[in-house]
Amino acid sequence: MIQLIEYALNGALLGLLYALIAMGFVVIYRASKVFNFAQGELVVVGAFLVWFFTLDLGLPLYVGFALALIGAAIFGLIIEPLLFRRLVGQSTFSMVMVTIGLLILLRGLVLVIFGPSVRPFPDLISTAPITFGDITLNRGLAYGGIFTILLAIGVSLYFSRTRPGLRMTVVAEDHQIAQSMGISVRRSIAYAWGMGMVLSTLGAVFYLNGKSVTFLVAEIGFAALPVALLAGLESVGGLIPAGIIVGVAQGLAAGYIDPVVGGSFSAVFPYLVMVIILFLRPSGLFGWRIVERV
Amino acid sequence: MSMQPAGVFAQSYVRDMAIFRTWKQGAALGFFVLALLLVPTILGPRYVAIANIMLITSVVVLGLQITTGLAGQVNLGQAAFMGMGAYTAAALSSGQQWPFLVTVPLAGLVAALFGAIFGLAAVRIRGFYLALTTIAAQFIFVFAILNLPASWTGAAQGLRVETASVFGFVFNTDNRMYFLILAITAIMTVGAYGIARSRHGRAFVAVRDDDLAAGFTGVNVVRAKATAFFVGAFYAGVGGALWAYYIRFVAVDQFSLFNSVYYMGMVIVGGLGSMAGAFVGVFLIRAAQEILTSVGPSVADIFPALGSSVVFASVNIILGAAIALMLILEPRGVMHRFNILKRAFRLWPYPH
Repeated sequence: MIQLIEYALNGALLGLLYALIAMGFVVIYRASKVFNFAQGELVVVGAFLVWFFTLDLGLPLYVGFALALIGAAIFGLIIEPLLFRRLVGQSTFSMVMVTIGLLILLRGLVLVIFGPSVRPFPDLISTAPITFGDITLNRGLAYGGIFTILLAIGVSLYFSRTRPGLRMTVVAEDHQIAQSMGISVRRSIAYAWGMGMVLSTLGAVFYLNGKSVTFLVAEIGFAALPVALLAGLESVGGLIPAGIIVGVAQGLAAGYIDPVVGGSFSAVFPYLVMVIILFLRPSGLFGWRIVERV
Repeated sequence: MSMQPAGVFAQSYVRDMAIFRTWKQGAALGFFVLALLLVPTILGPRYVAIANIMLITSVVVLGLQITTGLAGQVNLGQAAFMGMGAYTAAALSSGQQWPFLVTVPLAGLVAALFGAIFGLAAVRIRGFYLALTTIAAQFIFVFAILNLPASWTGAAQGLRVETASVFGFVFNTDNRMYFLILAITAIMTVGAYGIARSRHGRAFVAVRDDDLAAGFTGVNVVRAKATAFFVGAFYAGVGGALWAYYIRFVAVDQFSLFNSVYYMGMVIVGGLGSMAGAFVGVFLIRAAQEILTSVGPSVADIFPALGSSVVFASVNIILGAAIALMLILEPRGVMHRFNILKRAFRLWPYPH
C-alpha cells in the first residue's frame, strides 16, 4: 500500500513537471497559434543559460539565476523578429514548419556554443529528499510541483482576466481578426516566446536540480507533449489535472507493469493514454471546441 | 505555374495531361537517366556510396512528400515507418531466408499498415493533434523493437542482414547495389508521379488545401488521410528495406525521431508538394552533410572543444537556417524557384 502511494505520488510530481514544461508550449500556442515543436530545445537553452550564469561565470547562485531568466526572456523575444515577423499573415502551417527548423538550428547552436560534454547543473534547491514516514519524495520535483500549480493559476488568470492576456487570446483565435481589431500579432508572438522561454528555464531548474545537463535533455520536450494534448492546447489550468493523470499513470506503469513486461513500458504509456483520450475527446479535456467554417 | 515553350499546343486532353509534352522533355529525362547509370563508371567508389544513401533517402522522402506535401498531414514518424520496413526485411531475409523480391514489398506493406493506423486516427483527430500522434509512432516503434523476442528483432544488439540477391545474382558490392537501388527508386518515382496525377492525388491536394471544403465536395476525407499515410509509410518501408540490404545491419538508433525531423526538413527545402523537390531536397542536404563531413576534421582543429560532433552540429545549423530561410523567403521550396527561373527564361525578353 505504501509502495502504491509512493509510486503514485512520485508519478504525480513528475507529471506536474511535465505540466510546467508543457506550459511553455501551451503559452506559445495560446498567444500565437503556433505549435512549437522546438519546446525541448528551449528547455536545453534555458538550462545552459542557468549553467552559464551560475557555474561558468561563478556568480552567486540567485544572482546568476535571475540573470539567466532575463537572458531567457531576451532570447525568447528575439525569436519573433528573426523568424516570425515575415510570416505573419501567411498560413500557420509555415509558422509551425519554422519551429521544426528552429528545433534543428538550436540543437546545432547548443552543440557549437556549449559543446557535447556533460555539465553539472547548479542545485538551487537542496537535493536532500523529503520523507514522510516511509515515503520519500524528490525535493526539487516537490517544490516544482507546488510552484507549477500556483503558476498555472496565475497564468490562467492572466489569459482570462487581464487586458494583455485577452489580447493574446484573440491572436490565438485568429490572426486576421486580431490584426483588424488593432491588436499587434507580432508583439503577441514575441511576448509569447519570451514567456515560453522563461517557463522552459524554470522547468529546467526544477527538472535538473541535482542532475547534470547535456543537449539530450531536449527529450523532455516530447515527453511533455501528451500532457499538453490531454489538457487541450489552449488550456493552461487544464495542465494540472492532465499532468497529474499522465504522471500517476506513468508512475504506476513504472511500478507495476514494467517489471512484468521487462522494459520501459512506462515511457510509452503516456502516449497510449494520449491517443486513447484524443479518440474520445479530440480537442483534449479542456481545449476549445472550435466550430470550423469553410 | 509551369509553362510550355512557345508553339506547343495540346490538341487533346490526353496530350495536355501527358507527362512528356514535348520530345525534348523525354530526351532530357533520357539523358538524366543515362547520367545516373554512368555514375559508377565516371565517379569513384566514395561517390557511389554517397549516391546509394541519397537514393535510399529519396525513396523515404518521396513518401513523406506524398503524406505531407500532397495531403498536408504533418508526419514526424517517417523514420519509425522506415524502421518497420528495415526490420521486416532484415528479419525475413536473415531469419527465414526469404528472397529479396518478396521481402521488399512485404517490408513496404508492414510499414504501410503501421502507418495507416495513424492515418485512421484521422476519424476523430484533426490538424496538428494528428501530427503529434505520429510522434507517438516513433516511441511505440522503439519500444516494440526493444521488447519483442530478441530472435526476431535482435533487441538492443541490432540485426545482421544477408546480401540481396535476385534470381541467383548476388548484389555484394556497392556498384551492384547502386543499380539495384536505382532501379527500385525509379519504380517508386514513377509511382509517386502517377499517384500525384491520379484521383487519389487530387483528393490529397483537396484535403490539404481545406479538408472541410473537400468533404463537402464529396472527397472521403478520412479515407484520403488514411491512404496518404498508407502510401507514405509504404515508401518509407521500401526505403527502409533497401537501407537494411545496403548497410546490412539494422539497429533502433538508425531510425530516431531526429531522423524524422531531418526528412521533414528535406521536404521543406526541396519544396512541399513537388516530387522533383523531394529529390532536390535530399540531394542538397545530403551533399551539405558530405561536404561538412570531409571538411569537418579541419574545422575541429579550430574549435577543439567540439571534437567529433562538429559535423553533426554544423549540419544542424545549416539545415535549420536553411529551413527557416526557405519558409520566410520562398515557402514553396527550391523547385518553385527553379520553375520561376525556367519561366523567366522562356518569356525573355518580355516581362509577362
